[in-house]
Amino acid sequence: MRSTQEQNDEFRSPYPRYNVLDKWLSPDWDDQTREVVRRRLEKVPPIRFFSEKEAQTLAAVAERIIPQPERKEGEKIPIVPWIDEKLYEDTRDGYRYEKLPPQRQAWQQGLAGIDETAGMLFKGRRFVDLDAESQDEVLKRVQKGDPPGEIWKQLPSRSFFEHILLKIVVKTYYMHPLAWNEIGYNGPSSPRGHVRIWENGLDPWEAQEEARRR
Amino acid sequence: MTQQDQNMSSWSLTAPGIHGEPVPMRDWSREEVDVCVVGAGAGGGVVGAKLAEAGFSVVILDAGPHWDPMNDFISDEHASSKLYWTDERITGGDNPVELGTNNSGRGVGGSTVHYSMIALRAHPDHFRRRTIEGAVENTDHRDWPLAFDDLEPYYEEVEEALQIAGPTFYPWGKPRRRRYPQREHELSASANVLVRGCAKLGIPVAPSPIATLSAPHEDRPPCVYRGFCNFGCTTNAKSSILVTYIPRAIRAGAEVRGNAMVARITHDSRGRATGVLHFRKGSDELFQQRAKSVIVAGYAIESPRLLLNSSSSLFPQGLANSSGIVGKYFMVQSSEQVFAKFPERINQYKAPPPGGAITEHFNRTMPGVGFVGGYTIEVIGPHPVDFVAKMAAGRGLWGAELRREMFDYNHFSALGMVGTVMPNRKNEVKLHETERDRYGLPVPHVIFSYHENDKRLIKHSIAKMKEIFEAAGGTDVWSDHRTSHLLGCCRMGDDPADSVVNADCRAHDVPNLFICDGSVFPNSTGVNPSLTIQALAARTADRITDMARRGELW
Repeated sequence: MRSTQEQNDEFRSPYPRYNVLDKWLSPDWDDQTREVVRRRLEKVPPIRFFSEKEAQTLAAVAERIIPQPERKEGEKIPIVPWIDEKLYEDTRDGYRYEKLPPQRQAWQQGLAGIDETAGMLFKGRRFVDLDAESQDEVLKRVQKGDPPGEIWKQLPSRSFFEHILLKIVVKTYYMHPLAWNEIGYNGPSSPRGHVRIWENGLDPWEAQEEARRR
Repeated sequence: MTQQDQNMSSWSLTAPGIHGEPVPMRDWSREEVDVCVVGAGAGGGVVGAKLAEAGFSVVILDAGPHWDPMNDFISDEHASSKLYWTDERITGGDNPVELGTNNSGRGVGGSTVHYSMIALRAHPDHFRRRTIEGAVENTDHRDWPLAFDDLEPYYEEVEEALQIAGPTFYPWGKPRRRRYPQREHELSASANVLVRGCAKLGIPVAPSPIATLSAPHEDRPPCVYRGFCNFGCTTNAKSSILVTYIPRAIRAGAEVRGNAMVARITHDSRGRATGVLHFRKGSDELFQQRAKSVIVAGYAIESPRLLLNSSSSLFPQGLANSSGIVGKYFMVQSSEQVFAKFPERINQYKAPPPGGAITEHFNRTMPGVGFVGGYTIEVIGPHPVDFVAKMAAGRGLWGAELRREMFDYNHFSALGMVGTVMPNRKNEVKLHETERDRYGLPVPHVIFSYHENDKRLIKHSIAKMKEIFEAAGGTDVWSDHRTSHLLGCCRMGDDPADSVVNADCRAHDVPNLFICDGSVFPNSTGVNPSLTIQALAARTADRITDMARRGELW
């Protein structure tokens, strides 16, 4: 097990002093955008679609797909609540792969499949009870398309992993202002625009990079 | 217009103006109009506005809302998915197309509200690809029933209307007779990378013509390089259909009706279109809009779907489908994307995503490459949500490595290509056998597989984009598959036995039905299609005006 210090170093942002929310009242943020981001920060929805077990599994999966070990419980960027809301409201994406079931069923089957594979590879244990390395092993099998388990005979695991699970988890993470901070993303920009659009050109309110990791 | 006419279509409605102000609009809902247009995007907006200005009574319907650009567009990626067509469609074939994002639009303005504004003309050769390239096995690419010269004045017309900003000299395609209406945009960091790479390799590169203002025009200000063009422009610098042709249509007396999902086209016993039945938001009732002619402009999925959903005892295979071609020869454009890391800050989130530079050097059939057709290389500028999805999918990356790699987001530069795709009868849009949408209508089932020729072209383009990046000093080069621009399914041609509309976009089977969008393309071009769709729509409006005046339509 690595120390907390090591984990914190691993995710030390090159933009340690940048906070996109400092621009909240600036001409970069219009009212409608403030409203959207305010909800994202303050009104994290309750779990209404997933069962408790499914929500636990997904939280553990999300922590492997986009780990946030340096953030305490309650301070992490929420992933599960937004996916749950999408499924509760059944907000679609505009397409569904022929070989995949409708999204609600796909998520339920997929999460059950991950637990089933965990159980088959690791003596009946649930995904949430595995150590990080074993959890990654399960996810890699799902990604590669050869996980053991009955459920994956109905649900193509590679397609579920690539088109649904991976994409939606990472997109949910990077829609959050904390994620914008760590990558130096300028964030909302309306109505104010930019002047210095060339290489290394920075307008005064853009993120200053301090210690770039190579 | 008589006193009675004016009463019948009073200016009793309001529409959102481009500065957030309510604008008076006519109400044609109880009348039989001259023209009912289905779809308020690149095709429908242009043809509807021009016909209204020519004096016809016009209703333009769109399934989505009538956007108020000052208040409805959000400066946020996730919140902007409302601009896309997110109703479910089933996607299959060997290369199932990801739908519902960049290649779709819902709401007045259509996908021009969020498109990347690249405003290119097709080349004269693109209209005669079959003649030039000859037959290719397992595909059926056709010459168009019209030539570049037929469209040239209309390209000029829409470039003027949209105030395209471009260079004084553009090196590809037929030499221009007139300069672009506005001066070219500044180059972004990503565009400079493309220029640097191309210069090193001896590949010609040029400023890209794009549909956003570089100088004030009428009541719209120039672009301030927010970089949120793909999420709706909040300053009105972007020349979307929403802020250009739609206000013209309304001023000229057209009604633009948002939240109106057309379910079917009705016809009389002689087989002439009589109007459309549509759902309005918040109601299960079907409303009728009577019309002397109907123009379908719903793009390459919704247009064929509407024709197929309009089948009747007179038209058992679907309206205007005696040829059986409706829904067939569905095409995308290949749009592979390549990414590379640079020591400099690129900051791909700002400036218009086309960046201001382009090369059409490979947009021609080249000797010795093993494929016909070609492609354009353009600059793109994904924001983090889109970017991370590409990186995760393109590199299969996740975990600590993904999060750390994202720390370099500001150092990545990206190129995208727009390539020709061969029309193949097996690629199609059909009605799904069992799945129904919220209106109870059969959902579209889209089948797509790349042809061998397409795969070779894609491979070539990825290699070239990688070479350009490497020449420019990029490292960590990777690519992701993507498609854009949906074309075909109602192809135009002279022979009613194997095409749906003629060169005037008029249905062979139904004389007062027109189709006016990307679905009429009989082959694909190596450029983004919006300007060609708009030019075709402008021409179709003139043809309809002439035919109506000669008494050939109603």
